[in-house]
Parts: sequence; C-alpha cells; structure tokens
Amino acid sequence: MYLKYVIFALFITCASWVSGASYEDKRCKCVCPSIAAVLNNTEGSEYDRKLYIGNVPPNKCNCVGVILPRVGEIIKGRDQEFCPRCECKYENRNTTIIKVVVIIVIWVIMLLVAYMGFLICLDPLINKRAKASYQEHTNEEDESTISGTSQPMASRGNVLNRVTHQQDKWKRQVREQRRNIYDRHTMLN
Amino acid sequence: MERFPLKSSVSKAGTTYQSVYKKGTSAGNGRGGVTPEDDMVEIAPGDATPTSHGTFQLYEHSGRNNSNASANWDAVIFSGMQGDADDIPGIGQYDDFHTIDWQRDIARDRMRHRYIVKKRQDSIWDLIKGAHDAWSGWVCVLLVGVCTGVVAGVIDIGASWMTDLKFGICPQAFWFNREQCCWSNDEITFDHTNCSQWLTWPQVFGESRDGAGAYIVSYLFYIVWALLFAALSASLVRMFAPYACGSGIPEIKTILSGFIIRGYLGKWTLIIKVVGLILSVSSGLSLGKEGPMVHIASCLGNILSYLFPKYGRNEAKKREILSAAAAAGVSVAFGAPIGGVLFSLEEVSYYFPLKTLWRSFFCALIAAFILRSINPFGNEHSVLFFVEYNKPWIFFELIPFIGLGIIGGVIATIFIKANIYWCRYRKYSKLGQYPVTEVLVVTLITAVIAYPNPYTRMNTSQLIYLLFNQCGISNSDPLCRYNRNFTGVNTAIERAAATSEVYNAMGLLFLALLLKLVMTVFTFGIKVPCGLFIPSLALGAIAGRIVGIGMEQLAYTYQNIWIFSGECSTGDDCITPGLYAMVGAAAVLGGVTRMTVSLVVIMFELTGGVRYIVPLMAAAMASKWVGDALGRQGIYDAHIALNGYPFLDSKDEFQHTSLAADVMQPKRNESLAVITQDSMTVDDVETLLKETEHNGYPVVVSKESQYLVGFVLRRDLNLAIANARRTLDGITGQTVVVFAGPATPGTLPLNRILDMAPITVTDQTPMETVVDMFRKLGLRQTLVTHNGRLLGVITKKDVLRHVKQMDNEDPNSVLFN
Repeated sequence: MYLKYVIFALFITCASWVSGASYEDKRCKCVCPSIAAVLNNTEGSEYDRKLYIGNVPPNKCNCVGVILPRVGEIIKGRDQEFCPRCECKYENRNTTIIKVVVIIVIWVIMLLVAYMGFLICLDPLINKRAKASYQEHTNEEDESTISGTSQPMASRGNVLNRVTHQQDKWKRQVREQRRNIYDRHTMLN
Repeated sequence: MERFPLKSSVSKAGTTYQSVYKKGTSAGNGRGGVTPEDDMVEIAPGDATPTSHGTFQLYEHSGRNNSNASANWDAVIFSGMQGDADDIPGIGQYDDFHTIDWQRDIARDRMRHRYIVKKRQDSIWDLIKGAHDAWSGWVCVLLVGVCTGVVAGVIDIGASWMTDLKFGICPQAFWFNREQCCWSNDEITFDHTNCSQWLTWPQVFGESRDGAGAYIVSYLFYIVWALLFAALSASLVRMFAPYACGSGIPEIKTILSGFIIRGYLGKWTLIIKVVGLILSVSSGLSLGKEGPMVHIASCLGNILSYLFPKYGRNEAKKREILSAAAAAGVSVAFGAPIGGVLFSLEEVSYYFPLKTLWRSFFCALIAAFILRSINPFGNEHSVLFFVEYNKPWIFFELIPFIGLGIIGGVIATIFIKANIYWCRYRKYSKLGQYPVTEVLVVTLITAVIAYPNPYTRMNTSQLIYLLFNQCGISNSDPLCRYNRNFTGVNTAIERAAATSEVYNAMGLLFLALLLKLVMTVFTFGIKVPCGLFIPSLALGAIAGRIVGIGMEQLAYTYQNIWIFSGECSTGDDCITPGLYAMVGAAAVLGGVTRMTVSLVVIMFELTGGVRYIVPLMAAAMASKWVGDALGRQGIYDAHIALNGYPFLDSKDEFQHTSLAADVMQPKRNESLAVITQDSMTVDDVETLLKETEHNGYPVVVSKESQYLVGFVLRRDLNLAIANARRTLDGITGQTVVVFAGPATPGTLPLNRILDMAPITVTDQTPMETVVDMFRKLGLRQTLVTHNGRLLGVITKKDVLRHVKQMDNEDPNSVLFN
C-alpha cells in the first residue's frame, strides 16, 4: 500500500529531473600530442596530451572534422605530420538512463535504510505491545490458537493481516538464515 | 500376514518394466481384469525408460476397477500436475537442506508432458495450452536474459557513480561520474585529474585542488565514504538477507547439483545482493562484481521460473533454467556470451543436457544484447576493460607465457591456501561473532593503505583496463612514459627505452600486487557480497605487465639476439606488455578457479581477437597443472568442502575398495526401520515417524520376509496422512495403511506416494559403482538387497561421509538433513 505511493513519488521525481537536464549524449573525442612536440621536432620526453572534443556526426569524427577547424591556424599546412598522431573515438551514452538508474539506486538504498531503522527501533516496541495482548488471551504460543484468534479479525483487515502474516514469515526466515550464518557458521563461511 | 504369494513381489521387483505393465493389467492377483485401452496405448516400450518411476505405478492402478478411490486418484494426479489444487499440497516439494531426487522429478515432468500431449487433441484450448507448455522454457530464459541484462546495467552504472563519489561530485548533475561529468569539456590538457565541472571534495569545501591540505581532505573523504558504503552493505545484508553475502558460486554449484537451500535464490536475497554489491564494490574493497552476478542471475532465474509451473514446481526442471541463468550472469559480467555458456557447462552445472545448452546460449545472448544496448560504460561494450589488440606475437614468447602460467598457479595456490586458512579460522574462532566489525576493519585497512598508491586507489576494473591497454597516444600513464618521439610520421609506436618513471610505476605495481593479494585473502569471505574474479584478474595482470615490460626492455636492449632478430629487427614494437598482462590475468584466474576452456573463451571475447588463443591456452594449462600439483582444489571446491555442502564432485575418482555393505545403514546389530505394505495402522506409521528421523522408509511385503515393494518418503507420508485425516472420513488411528495391493474399504490407500521402482543394488556392489550411480543418475538414496531381501539403505549423506572418511577428513562436517 505504501509501496504504491513510494513508487509514484519516485516516478514524479524522476520525470521532473528528466525534463530538466541538458547534457550532450554524443561526442567525438580526439587525443593528440601537444602541438609543440610535433612542430618543434623536440626529441623525447613530451608527455603533454591535448584533448579535443567535438560534437560531430560519426563519419566526421576524425582529425579533419574535429581538430583542424580549431588548430588549423597554428599548424598551417603541417597537418600531414600532426594528424596521424591523433586518436579519435566516437562515443555515445544515454544520460536519461544514467540519471534514472542512479536516482532509483539512491531511492532503494534510502528505503532499505529507513525500513532497517524501523525494524531496529520501532518494531520491537510495537511487537512488545502486540505480544502482551496475545498473552492475555492465550498462554501458549501455539500456531493454531493464534490463527484461531485472528480469524474474526480477518474479515476486518484482510489485506493488513496477510501483509503482517507474510512479514512474520519472512522475519522468521531471516532469523533462521542469520542463525545459520552468523551464529552456527554452517554456511557461507 | 503374507496375503500375496511370493510370485507377485518377485515379479514387481525383478522383471522389466514392460512386463510389469502386463502383469498388472492382465494376470491380476485378484484384480479386475479390465484392460484400459487408452492407458495401454500410452505405454510404448520406448517410453518406459528405467527412470520413469511413478509412471507404471499409475497405470497399474488404473487397471484396477475394484477401487473407486484409486480411479479417482489417477485423475487427481493428472490434475495435480496441471496445477489444480486437488492434489495433496506439497508433494514433490522438498524441505530445506534436502537433496532432490532427479529421477523422480524428471519422471514427474515426463508424465505431465505425456498428459498434455494426450490432451492436445481434445480442444483448441488444450492445443494452445500444449503450445504454451512447449515454448515456456524459451520464454522463461528470454525473461531471465532480459532481467539479467537490466540488473547488470543498473549495477554497472550505480557502482561506477558511487565509486567516483569517493573522490568528488558533479554539482550540475550529481548523477554523473567523473568521466560523464567531463563529457564535453576539452578546456583542460589531458591528464587523469579533473575538469572544471567535476569538483573534488576539497574543492567543494572551498580549498584548492592541490596541496597538502587538499590531499588530507581527499584522503579523509575517501576513507569515510568507503567506511560508510561498507557499513551500509554489511548491515543491509545482516538485516534483510544474510544469504546475500559472499560470492555465491559455491552455493550455486551445490544447488545445481541437487540441493535445496530455501531462500537462497529469493526476492530479498536478490534485492540485497544487488544493492549490497553496488555498495561494496564502490567501497573500494578488493572484490569484484562478477561472481555475485552469477548469483543474481540465478535468483532471477528462480523467481521467474515460478511464472511457469512446469519449472517452478519441479526442482529438477528448475535447475535447467538456473543453469541458463548462470550462463547469463557470466555473459553480462564479462560481456562474453559464449564464455558464459561454457562457464555454466564447465564450472557450475551438474546436469547439462543439450537442450539446456541451447537455452543457455539463447539466454546469454539476450542478456549480453540488453546490457550492450544499455551501454553502461559508454564504450559500446559491456565491460570496462574491453581492449582491442591486433598485434602478432612471436613464437619465442610462448616461454614467458608459460612462465606466467606457472607464476599464476603459484599466486593462486598461495591465495587459496591462505584464504581457506583464514576462513576456517573465522568459522571456528571468536572472529566469526563480529561480522560487521570485521567488514569495517578490513575496509578501513584497505582504504588507508590503498589511497597513497595510485594503482590501488583507482577502481580495480580501471586498473585492469590500464594494464591490458597498450601504450598509445591516448595513454598518458607513467607506465607508458617511454623515450619516444613523435616526429617520425609513419611508425606510430616504435621500440623505446623505458624511463625511470616506468620503473617507478613498476615498483608501485609490485606493491599493489602484494597489497591486493593480502587484502583479497582477508576480503573474500567477509559478510558482504563479494566476488573474486576481478581481484584475481588484477593480480595476474599486474604480474603479467611487470614481466611484459621486462621482456620488452630485453628485446630493446638485445635486439640482435637470434630470438628477437627476425620479428623485431624492423624497429617495430614487437613485444606488447598489455598482452602479457592479459595472459597473466588468465593464468591467475585459471589457477584460482581451475577453469580452462571457459576462461580462455572469456579472455578472448574480452580482447575481441582469436589470435591470442594459443598463448592464453598455454598459460591456463600451465597454471592449472601447477595449481593441481601444489593444492588439490580450486577455490570454489575448497569452499564447498569448508562449508561441508553435500556436493558429490564428478571430477574426483573414488579409488577405494569398499563395498555397498560397508557403507549402508543400518550397521551391524541395528535394525532397519521399514514399513509393511498392508499391515500397519496409521498409529504404527506415526509412531515410526516419531521414533526415527529417516527421510524415507523402504516398504516391504512383511517384516519377516523383507521382500522389497518400494520406497516412501517421510515428507510425503506426513503430508498424505495429514491430508487423509482432513479430507477422508473414518480415518482413525486403527485404520490400516495400504501401500500396495487392492485397497479394501475401510483402509487408507497410499499407493500414490509409493515409489515402486527404487534403485537397488546388491550388498556386494563395489562402492565405485554406487558412487558412480549417485553422480550420474542424481540419486537421493539406493536400497541394498541380499538374495532379494532388503538389507539396508545408502543415502547420499552416507556416500559423502564415506568419501570424506576415506580421504581422512572429518565425516561429520557434511551439512545435511
């Protein structure tokens, strides 16, 4: 029930963010040695690289399409020497997917942490009260008597009951798993 | 007592299946002589393979007309298989930590299939249902593939974003990692640091980018984020799904071999494993996401198989889907679909018929396609460290490659031994009581040591990419600072002397190798999702790169020796250190996991070229030999043995001379708990169930004769009696339970839950044969007879314990119910 609202809110936030951003999805990335290294014919240790990024169609992602328009002035006619040393790579990405995924991940982690906090802090209090009220009616923790007492309530809050029942079942399973792994060390060592 | 003449039981136990059908229908020991023709049509001799346990029991019963109840039941069996609620609920399911009976499950599926085929002629609707049944396997693996691809994309994007969160943030669009943030920014010169959009943490707090203060702030933020991520991961795992910790491959292997671990492949395990994996990868611990990806894919396979009752309700059939899912997991982890299929075949699967091979192929294909279209790394590939090589290798290089294989085998053995020692220490000492603290301490130490060294500070996948890459224009790392000039036009990269920076980098890499080796030993096994493919690849890649640079400089210095003279004389860069890194990575991974074929395929799918198959094969083989010589098991088998999972390895050979009589239960001077076929009351049976704890009981003609009738499982017996008490009138404690033979009114007939074709061996059968039967047929138990009389039972547990005992290990360490 809460889950629906949560998912709804999540989609709202996603949608509002999606409509905003303005980042390019494509680029042509060229890496060249620094121009000085080529023009001055300096021997040896010249590690400076220069990055040229252009937004061009894939078939123009090369030295002529990206680099020469910018540095043509400087290298003037020596592009035959300069260009072979450049590596150009066409890359694309999908910013929307990245955004949605990261936001979903943050949401899920926050939800889980919140639920964990709930289970650690509030749940013992609630359960204590519930257990006390049970023990007034029945002294023994027999499955059948508990389900018997909850039978009249079933008509009132059927969904709620089922949810709590499922939750109890799940908690029992997790307790069992915890005992296997953290206490008895029989598995996953 | 013995109402049946001996002949009857002998004919049941001793003759072939076909003849039993005839006996059941025509001869009739007091049975109705009506021959049901439509049933007989079904039983073509070819159909009745020795594995169809329940089948003939069914037809035999339908041959009898004197009992209305049994006639009804046959319909119930069919409808139960169809998924209606009439059947006793839970029959055919298993309890937690039990072994499945492959033969029985496959027979159940065959019967269901036969029923659907038969019904197909009846109506259009049935025809559609039949068609749906036929294609449901493919639909299921399609869904598994799609979901695996999507989840892998989420993990890749989430982890890469969160990893960079340790270093800084992109204020304009916080969901971008550093690479994405600087996507269209070229104002800076090319180096590994930042563009103006990306703010490191010191910058966020208004300090400069460089300097001692900034370094300390960055260092602190790195540690704090790492601790935060690790703490979150560990506590989520502890709170919601403890089964989500670890790599999961040993457990998947055990599950695929026919073991039930309830909840291991459930919804919560899936969610927590995905989230925890993102967190633990980004915390900078020395672990990878590839192994857990197999677990995640298997969880998806298990969850989605419940959409198709054919797979969801039949544990043996479900394992076909799980095998395909494991293939999809590796496929997305490495972007290697064929490698994934082979991994599933070589490493994890136990039962792998051709049909499953094709489905795995399809599933891996779909998963890789989906991940590729999500394009998580923006490099048109589904792994970060995809490299493309096109350089030839010279024949002489095989020697260093084999040397790398040997180094890889040694590193792998050290790792396995140390890790198993540490895990055993954790298991039996007080350390095991502080799982979250342990995670935090390991993270703290890792972060503090890793940050100063740039090669351990960076993401391990990036490190592998760096090491695999060849030095080109676009690579400006110190590893590539050779004395090269950029003047010559036509020779792009030529041979060059390494500068001192390269040697410094090699020193740092060697430190990184030691650190990674030590930290991975302590990391693999802590209670967060963690795999070890990436760390072992990184270990090997570092070792390989160091050897590669050494070889390169050797070739540069002594270019006129005969071994280099042919290929290297032209001045070309004839030795590629990146290739050595790749071979080394394959060697260590091969030594750790003892994979061979699938490993080589994964590696060459990573490089996109088949040219390096021979070097990779040589290294993988050498590493496997060295590993096998130094230590017996791969890491997964060692962990299976450490945990005592009931995994009957089909690789080992059983070489002892014991006989079935030595292994079977009960031992001498104990009595065997049996049920008689038609003389025990409900009370007797319930007392037996209370007093003994066996998971199944042989049914005999009478206690005196001990002639075998069949085998009944404890769980089925419980369920059937409870069900009968609920649904049938007049069931009291004094009602006689009839397992075989005509059901007279006033008795409780339980023919349906009786397996009338249990596998039997004689007491003189060598254990070699028995172990083989357990492995190849996937048995859960076999009955031991002597002169046709029942003598005892051998269960899988007995076999495993016997194997352990023979290998001088503690037989009580087998985890089993």
